[in-house]
Amino acid sequence: MGQERFADIVERFAAGYQNGAAAVDPDAARRWQEEIDRQIRRAQNLSEMMLNPTEPKVGCTPREEIYRTNKSRLYRYQSRREHATPVLFVPNLGISRPYIFDLLPGGSFVEHMTGKGFDFYLLDWGVFGPEDNGLTFEECVVKILPKMARKVLETSGADSLSVLGYCMGAPLSISFVASHPEVPVRNYIDMAGPIDFSQVGMFGLWLDRKHFNVDRFVDTLGAVPADLVKAGFKLLKPTMDLSTNLNLWWNSWNDKYVEGFNALNKWANEYVAFPGEFFRQWVRDFYQGNKLFRGELVFGGRPVRLSSVTCPLFVVGAKEDYIAPPACVRALMDAVSSRDKEYVELPGGHISLIAGRGAALHCWPKVSGWLAPRSS
Amino acid sequence: MSDSGAQLFDMWRKQLEEGAAAWGKVFSQPAAPPPPADPMAFWRPLVEQWVQASARAFAQTPMTPDVMSQWKQFLDQSIDAWSRALSQVMNTEAFAQMLGRYLDQWLVTTAPMKKAAEQGIDQALQTLNLASRTQLTAVARQIVELEERVERIEEAVNAVLRAVQRGPDPASAPRGPDTAPKERA
Repeated sequence: MGQERFADIVERFAAGYQNGAAAVDPDAARRWQEEIDRQIRRAQNLSEMMLNPTEPKVGCTPREEIYRTNKSRLYRYQSRREHATPVLFVPNLGISRPYIFDLLPGGSFVEHMTGKGFDFYLLDWGVFGPEDNGLTFEECVVKILPKMARKVLETSGADSLSVLGYCMGAPLSISFVASHPEVPVRNYIDMAGPIDFSQVGMFGLWLDRKHFNVDRFVDTLGAVPADLVKAGFKLLKPTMDLSTNLNLWWNSWNDKYVEGFNALNKWANEYVAFPGEFFRQWVRDFYQGNKLFRGELVFGGRPVRLSSVTCPLFVVGAKEDYIAPPACVRALMDAVSSRDKEYVELPGGHISLIAGRGAALHCWPKVSGWLAPRSS
Repeated sequence: MSDSGAQLFDMWRKQLEEGAAAWGKVFSQPAAPPPPADPMAFWRPLVEQWVQASARAFAQTPMTPDVMSQWKQFLDQSIDAWSRALSQVMNTEAFAQMLGRYLDQWLVTTAPMKKAAEQGIDQALQTLNLASRTQLTAVARQIVELEERVERIEEAVNAVLRAVQRGPDPASAPRGPDTAPKERA
């Protein structure tokens, strides 16, 4: 056998391809072409992200500052106002910034709610410094939240309001609702807010008083610095960064994905410190004592009994939530005296319940759909 | 007396002999070899889980021309397997105990260092005639308190203004002879 020339091979391959004898599967060829195009887009977008990073524009829904006290702000978002009852949204204090709820146009819970005609108010607890180390959970419940609720009623002209608590905002706001029966709360929604801390998962185990001395912690550090908050959450899911970066690489050909990633990444890396005394009370009374669920809390001389909550209740849990597992969220259903109550468990985790494509599909319509007929 | 002395001596001798025999037995026996150190003991369940997950991933993944998708799927499943394995480890009392101990040690080390650093900085600022962090924090607290006091006054003034705008409530007005409206005046 003589040595084959490269030109002969090419010629034979081309002829075969034309005749259909040795034809390459056209579907496979198209997919390889797509993959090559994607690789080029990936390289372009990733180099753009690294060499020319742009600050994502977050929190674009028009809003107005209604009230401020110390670091906390109450914002009102413009809407057509199709429903008489305004909504007061209470997110977590510390940990992260609340612009996750208004991340990007077309991907914002606030935008969804205002689009559905709700007069929407967001409480931004703010970023705390060492001067706020004395702020307690109790103060938030008996001093800040009543003022915020009053401002909502004053500015909206409504005679009642709906309260929506997310994450730690749920125990905060339900403590307020349960201890202030004179405030006309028409509906209450708990989104991924832990209630029964005996079922709160890994954080509950790590913060157990057998292993974690909260007094020593707060007495030494004064507050919980943002870096420590970050370390705690990263430890909860150590592979999170790996999968996030892998998914970024995989989807980086998609400009929309990159835009969303930039915004979410900005939020995910902006941790907020906890005021020391707040953290002490949060860990001691909730994680270690489970006093909210047991009905043992007394704030400002007022007993906090979940059984005194009688307004319509909607509870939303997330199936893969490892910060507030569904069981500890669902517990609110049995603790209150409300007759009109509903629980839904949606796919996703703690964050994807409220932000992202899944939230827009599954969660937001459920919340607005439940609230609308109860807000006239 | 001599009997009891001999009895005591016998007992002492017996104990001595038994003790010597016991020690001799211990030393004559070859020492049990220590169990071989297994550095993989901790990681073996994780690695096994990962191998199983990888095998499953390869078995489930249909062979398509899109190698990249298969590779991504494999990585996703591997990360997922590692995540589940780590969660199992971290969701144990032993891990929580270790974490708590580590945190305690860190606090014990941090506390004196933090205190010393703060004292040093305070002294340096005092020398330079500059306000320290503690002083600035105290001023910030005073401002917050002042803000709250102003707010309370504002609320009280607003309440009075609202009451004035509403005018006197006829139902609550005193109806004594002096204040009764003089219709025939």
